Amino acid sequence: MEKITRREIFKGLFPRVEVALAGGEETRQPRWTMVIDLAKCIGCDTCTVSCKAENRTPPGVTYNVVLTEEKGNLPNVMVINTPRPCMQCDRPPCAQVCPVRATYKMANGITAIDYDRCIGCRYCITACPYGARSFDFGDSYEAEMLGYEAIQAPEYGVQRGKRQGQKAPKGTTRKCHFCFHRLQRGEEPACVETCLGDARYFGDLNDPGSVVSKLAKSPRAFHLKEEMGTHPRVIYLK
Amino acid sequence: MSTSNQSVLKTNRKPGVTPVKATSWYIVLFLLMLIGVIAFVIRALNGLSTTNLSSAMPWGTWVAFYIYFVGMSAGAFLLTSLIHVFDMEHLEEVGKDATLVAIISMVLALFFILMDLGHMERFWHAIWYWNSTSILSWEIRFYTIYIVLLLAELYYALKHDKKKLKLLGAIGIPIAIFGVHGGTGVLFAVVKAQPYWNTALFPVIFVISALVSGTALVTAIYIIRNKIAGKEPDISLVKSLASWMVLFLVIDVGLQFFEILVGVYGLEEQELATLATIFTGSFALNFWVVQMGIGVIIPLILYFNPRTRQSTTAMFWAAVAVVIGILGVRFNIVVPALTVPVLPGLPAGYYYPSWIEWTISIGIISLGIIIYTLAVKLLPIDNK
Repeated sequence: MEKITRREIFKGLFPRVEVALAGGEETRQPRWTMVIDLAKCIGCDTCTVSCKAENRTPPGVTYNVVLTEEKGNLPNVMVINTPRPCMQCDRPPCAQVCPVRATYKMANGITAIDYDRCIGCRYCITACPYGARSFDFGDSYEAEMLGYEAIQAPEYGVQRGKRQGQKAPKGTTRKCHFCFHRLQRGEEPACVETCLGDARYFGDLNDPGSVVSKLAKSPRAFHLKEEMGTHPRVIYLK
Repeated sequence: MSTSNQSVLKTNRKPGVTPVKATSWYIVLFLLMLIGVIAFVIRALNGLSTTNLSSAMPWGTWVAFYIYFVGMSAGAFLLTSLIHVFDMEHLEEVGKDATLVAIISMVLALFFILMDLGHMERFWHAIWYWNSTSILSWEIRFYTIYIVLLLAELYYALKHDKKKLKLLGAIGIPIAIFGVHGGTGVLFAVVKAQPYWNTALFPVIFVISALVSGTALVTAIYIIRNKIAGKEPDISLVKSLASWMVLFLVIDVGLQFFEILVGVYGLEEQELATLATIFTGSFALNFWVVQMGIGVIIPLILYFNPRTRQSTTAMFWAAVAVVIGILGVRFNIVVPALTVPVLPGLPAGYYYPSWIEWTISIGIISLGIIIYTLAVKLLPIDNK
């Protein structure tokens, strides 16, 4: 059980004030954005694998998947691979519905989950139009992978110790956070770094000279389910 | 949840309830509750992996039961409000009973949603932390106010304070309609990712179906309690209650028809896939047999057949059929929409409750029946 400080009480009572207090210092932060070039994606699932390795996600929890769609009839067929991380929406439906504000939008554009506050109601999972959220049912790879439970990924920069420990995010919702703990160390997200076809780009949308800023203006650029009005932070290139 | 009670013990001349029967009634309920408690311990130790839920299928039995009992409660409460606020004196005999049903149903609903939390020990976060855009956050506060209001209403009903009852009923009607049950409908309706839920008619249907199930349960309880006590239920009262029930039921079915019709014309892939799951897919049996057959056709036949309408036994079964049918409605709200993947290529959900989910559900319902039985025995619920 977490300890409640006076500041926490204040935050609980006056959420708007908290935002106002936080706003001033964080406006100069980068706005992290990911661009995925579908023409370069070969559907190898390396992003999915490296994400699982990086975040040590348990069975049933997958931050990134590659959706495969086959079009046309033989011999005129085409396969479209669509990697799907969390869209880090600028208008996140998950944060809208979370009853305890465990999911919230950080100033750097990442939609975060406070594992210590989440009550595990899974309302956000039903509300996500991209199916990007998983529930941690507490399962383990220990039987297949020796030492799986020995340590957990330091998601959001928080050391969470052993999988069996009290700080494990079991019973909460989990999702991709653009490898926030890697960003803090100045590294790219694992999926971007390992992508075989170099289909993923990552950068700061606030910087007009960055690759992602330029690609975002491409006529090939589109968002998944644009009609949802979620303003995703992941941009696809057709 | 047809039930019986021991308030009749005082009328010891009646052959209906002997002490042996009363004791075995309690024993059966306690055993069911005990099984539920054992299942709860397993669930508490092993988390939600004891359920058949998954990330693709995040909500199941307990959420369905939760909205079922919220609806039952709101419906029973609105029935008492009709009595107190609109002076429907002829229904007064069921007033206190309906209030009691409303309280117990609401408590059960909260038990169900507690079971469903990944972190049960953090339930207080839901009160402490406030997200003004989250319907669930508002609902939890409405439920709390509503339970307090119901307890006050029961208190004044037992004291026969009609003025206060009228006032509480008047405050309670908007809370029950817009806050408690309309709000529970809004909880689903605002989820744009699930087009089947995402209609403005959805909360309206929630309120109407709440009235259907609440009236049906109160009717069933009124009849069975009188029968057990060896009294013949007042046929004019039964007919009056059944008429309300059937009126609500017909409106409910009509609104659902519009909703489905508009959904089909929208030609939205996910919506069509959801409707296909309900009508012809893995939940077809639930829709055609439970929701339509038991929940609509049987009660309508029993009500509109002039012979069966005169029989309190037939009306009892009509009410029980509705109570079961609405449970089918609740399952069909929660489950089929979630089985359809939100993006092509994501895994489709499939769901059937695990035995832990069943036994805990039965345990919670048994607890409700025990509370009800004790309450009618200890409190002066009956007018005479």
